[in-house]
Amino acid sequence: MSRQELLTPEGLRVDGRRAQELRRIVAKTSVFSQSDGSAYLEQGNTKCLVAVYGPREARHRQQAMADRAIINVEFIVAPFSTTERKKRSKNDKQSLESATFIRQTFEPVILLSQFPRSQIDVYIQVFQHDGGVLAACINATTMALVDAGIPMLDFVCACSAGAIEKVPVVDLNHLEESADTPELTLAMLPRSNKVNLLELQSRLHIDELQDVMDMAKDGCIKVHDTLDQVVRRNMEHFIERMNA
Amino acid sequence: MESLKNSDIFNRIQPHEYMRRFIDQKVRPDGRLLDRFRETLITSNVISTANASAMVRLGGTTVVCGIKAEVGEPSIDTPDQGYLVPNVILSPLCSSQFRPGPPSEQAQIISEFLSQLFTRQPHLIPLESLCIESANAVWVLHADIVCLNYDGNMLDASLLALTQALCQLRLPKAEVNEGVVVADKDDTFQPFEMTRFPIAATYCVFAPDAILSDPNDAEEQLTKETLTVVMDSDGDLLHVHKNGGAVMDMEKMRLCLHRTRERLAQLKPLIQ
Repeated sequence: MSRQELLTPEGLRVDGRRAQELRRIVAKTSVFSQSDGSAYLEQGNTKCLVAVYGPREARHRQQAMADRAIINVEFIVAPFSTTERKKRSKNDKQSLESATFIRQTFEPVILLSQFPRSQIDVYIQVFQHDGGVLAACINATTMALVDAGIPMLDFVCACSAGAIEKVPVVDLNHLEESADTPELTLAMLPRSNKVNLLELQSRLHIDELQDVMDMAKDGCIKVHDTLDQVVRRNMEHFIERMNA
Repeated sequence: MESLKNSDIFNRIQPHEYMRRFIDQKVRPDGRLLDRFRETLITSNVISTANASAMVRLGGTTVVCGIKAEVGEPSIDTPDQGYLVPNVILSPLCSSQFRPGPPSEQAQIISEFLSQLFTRQPHLIPLESLCIESANAVWVLHADIVCLNYDGNMLDASLLALTQALCQLRLPKAEVNEGVVVADKDDTFQPFEMTRFPIAATYCVFAPDAILSDPNDAEEQLTKETLTVVMDSDGDLLHVHKNGGAVMDMEKMRLCLHRTRERLAQLKPLIQ
């Protein structure tokens, strides 16, 4: 697909959005009974689910650390999630890489020293792959950790951004991602404005980098507003039911 | 940290006795009567990247089935038939009792059960309708069934999700053109004909003679006996599977069949 079709002269993208518009985010927490915390997040057509177990006893005694908890992240992509069925084992390089990124993103944010010798398990399942998967999974993991009551310094909000014909655009979908658009994923702590994860795997001119990063940062703030609202609403329901 | 009530402590120390106290009053710890199935919710077409999909909530047990159709070569002794390949995934995500690693025995048993059910009952899915060109190309339906939350009775939920997804399946019309399979130019779809569908009902026996319909996780762990009855939408018995060590008399079997018929009547309006 040629670049021109991804962004029309009027400024509309393939799915009708403007350059700075995010896709619709739907987030639900406490969706399952077995896990300590769970969240389901939809960002446009990308759907993912995160279940958090813990803090619980470390599975392998040797790996347990005496002064803090360890985080174990598993990233599983369902075979029906992409347009071509691909049975990806959870130990293949891409899944391991995404799992490692997510673990490294949350390690400094979760107050691990409060749970020595324990393990926090995060299981991420991607149901539908339509671009921005890493960002959606980070957002969903934040919600699930909040739902599990695990203490954190701040929300971690993530967003992807790119540049189509030198115009910075936010929240790429699968079509835009696969059309040679440089994709930058950014995760940050919204209240302190600190960047936690930054990943860019394609060629981008250095002059454009600042604009694309700013676009991603604005996207993260918008994501934070949405997620914050969901958490507050859930707490209100909870308090109502407790007082009833 | 909430403090444990005395009943919770009793449940942890003597789960079997705890359950017995309830069963003696003809009720179960979650409040259900012995013959009640949990609330069933079915949603279709939840995954747009799959050819067909369905999500089933059976009480707490939540299962998603996604079917993707691929082209493959038929086997030599059945050149006109396609395949249905069910694959059940029970990951640590759905419950802490599952360890990470290759598919557990339980997942493999359910996958095999579903596969055998459809292979042995050719009138359920007409495998010939999956043929693109005889001895050359056929549709292979990969049905991936992912458990999201495990609260017992995975078999019933999986079969229900698989059945609903199959009812919704529409395959693109394809033909073989110079050795390559191409989709029809007009992008037409052929709906998959499923005139009769199977439903499963699982029961467990809580010693010595209480039969519980649709066991949840706690009940499954306390009982050794399970009995699964599969019936099709016309009321014909397709498969009866009883495992476990104890013996069961005919009266109880008949009771299970009777309850299965009621369950079929409950489920029929939910599946389209």
